[in-house]
Amino acid sequence: MSSEPVISLQNVTKRVGRKTIIDNLTFDVPQGEIFGFLGPNGAGKTTTIRMIVGLIAMTNGQILIKGKNIKTEFEQAIRHVGAIVENPEMYKYLTGYHNLIHYARMVPGVTKERIDEVVSLVKLENRIHEKVRKYSLGMRQRLGVAQALLHRPSLLILDEPTNGLDPEGIRELRDYLRYLTRTEGITVVVSSHLLSEMELMCDRVAILQRGKLIDVKPIEYFTKGSDTFQTYRIEAQMPEQAIKGIRQMAGVQEIKISEDGLIEVTTEREQIPDILEELMRNHIRIYGVQMVRRSLEDGFLELTGGGQIG
Amino acid sequence: MVNLVLNENMKIFRRARTWILIALMAAFVIFGNFVMWNENKSAQGEGWQTELTQQKEMWNDRLKNSSPDDESQTYYKEQIEVIDYHLEHNIRSEQGTMWNGINESAGLGILITIFTIIIAGDIVAAEFATGTIKLLLIRPANRLKILLSKYIAMLLFGLVLLFTLFVVSVLMNGILYGFKDIGLPLVSMINGHIVEQNMVLNLWKTYMLNGIATVMYVTIAFMISSVFRSSAMSIGFSIGILFAGNILLEALHRYEWSKYLLFANTDLTQYLDGRPFQDGMTLSFSIGVLVVYFLAFNLISWLMFTRRDVTA
Ligand SMILES: Nc1ncnc2c1ncn2[C@@H]1O[C@H](COP(=O)(O)OP(=O)(O)O)[C@@H](O)[C@H]1O
Ligand SMILES: [Mg+2]
Repeated sequence: MSSEPVISLQNVTKRVGRKTIIDNLTFDVPQGEIFGFLGPNGAGKTTTIRMIVGLIAMTNGQILIKGKNIKTEFEQAIRHVGAIVENPEMYKYLTGYHNLIHYARMVPGVTKERIDEVVSLVKLENRIHEKVRKYSLGMRQRLGVAQALLHRPSLLILDEPTNGLDPEGIRELRDYLRYLTRTEGITVVVSSHLLSEMELMCDRVAILQRGKLIDVKPIEYFTKGSDTFQTYRIEAQMPEQAIKGIRQMAGVQEIKISEDGLIEVTTEREQIPDILEELMRNHIRIYGVQMVRRSLEDGFLELTGGGQIG
Repeated sequence: MVNLVLNENMKIFRRARTWILIALMAAFVIFGNFVMWNENKSAQGEGWQTELTQQKEMWNDRLKNSSPDDESQTYYKEQIEVIDYHLEHNIRSEQGTMWNGINESAGLGILITIFTIIIAGDIVAAEFATGTIKLLLIRPANRLKILLSKYIAMLLFGLVLLFTLFVVSVLMNGILYGFKDIGLPLVSMINGHIVEQNMVLNLWKTYMLNGIATVMYVTIAFMISSVFRSSAMSIGFSIGILFAGNILLEALHRYEWSKYLLFANTDLTQYLDGRPFQDGMTLSFSIGVLVVYFLAFNLISWLMFTRRDVTA
């Protein structure tokens, strides 16, 4: 059961006129994963999501949701999906509650209790009987999540869900998505043009650029680095003097003094004790050593060859 | 499917705009009836016998003095028989009763067409304009059913307007003329026999005949709404041809093919009056033309709505 991917894209291509908007995308997302879709504005994230939920037709390829073809078995496939595509547009002249009733009527088996459950899940109890017109962007976003979860989907797709959320809201969303994957085994696909948000939320990230899939990597790849060389920061007395001795040592790739007066040395892990020993031999006092986490941007730039990230 | 229609009804009737249209409909009926009542005051007394006798004399005059053709002759004779029946059985004519106003009010059906066009033009296009179409179409309901539920909801709104017209015109004319003649029968000549018909049934027959044109125009509005996804274009164009239709017909009357135009066939009363738009047109011809247009409009809506990408 869990060996079958919840969603599978196979050679998915979208052409409009002569323009290829999505070029031969292939990837699978297993059950329980939070999968990120990362790319600058115009990369084709929304277009891909529209194809996944059957709003637009693909020129080539196929998309399976829990093994059901979105094109030929639309109703069986879409039953498993809850989604927000771009902005969570609701009927502004209806109350939040009537909006939910509207979507509940479209899927068999969504009870009044379930509606109340999702309302409290997204913490809209106090405002749910107000017209959506009066909602803030954050509240609309939450109502959007509520409508997507109503029918207990296996796959939740959120297109740029952090738009309009403050950092606190983003943290809440992240915790909530984690909760859903753990407790209900739900699979989540989120898109974003912000690397830092992906880092907080996702297990794996697909990088999309001009409609092409650059790579799919676990999030650790971006944060920990793949090679053996790491950058360390050493807080020491007299750094100018200190680096003279280290620079000549074997295994030291790069060394410099940072703006805040720390020694930044890029080297292999095994070299660290030797470097410290060398410093102490020169009677330089050491106050601290710390590994510098590679930023997501660094990882991203490496992968895309310095491309724009948006 | 029932749920889908409930949804569409919710989206129509939980909007202030809808109730404004219904209130406007009621207001027009009240105002129109008042004006008509005010103008017809003369015939409201108990002088209906005198008036019918005068009318009878007029028909008699024409029979004698204007040497009419066979068709007119039978028509005049029928009219005289009907008047005699009224006088003999002491059944008053519709003139000066509430039924005069009620039957005249059926002409306000044009407002039903216009107001339903407004709803029809919006019902698909607005979902695209606001982006709600995306959340609507990612449910386990196929697009044809969603489109059909919108079409049904739009027609139901037209029916609500029709009931408004009916109820308000009955009440208003009852108040103005009094309800005493509410049971008045309609006396007419059918196949050479005098028959008394129920006024209410006759009224609904008129409503239904007028309704054919309404259904055709709102179907056009619905089609444009689905194809161009623009409320303004749909409403503007549909109301435009609603008014331009008859002018266009006048201009094109000399061409034989103009009988295939939609407008030449929407008014089926042309056959009841025995005066078709062009010689050789029959009731079944018009019904055939209407059915073809109806199917074509709906097929276009369906193809455009179900096949095209949703990029809203
Ligand atoms: N229907 C369309 N016709 C032509 N170009 C389109 C269409 N839809 C999207 N595009 C183009 O495809 C690209 C991807 O858009 P989109 O999927 O919205 O990107 P993202 O969501 O990653 O910002 C953009 O360059 C956009 O201009
Ligand atoms: Mg987008």
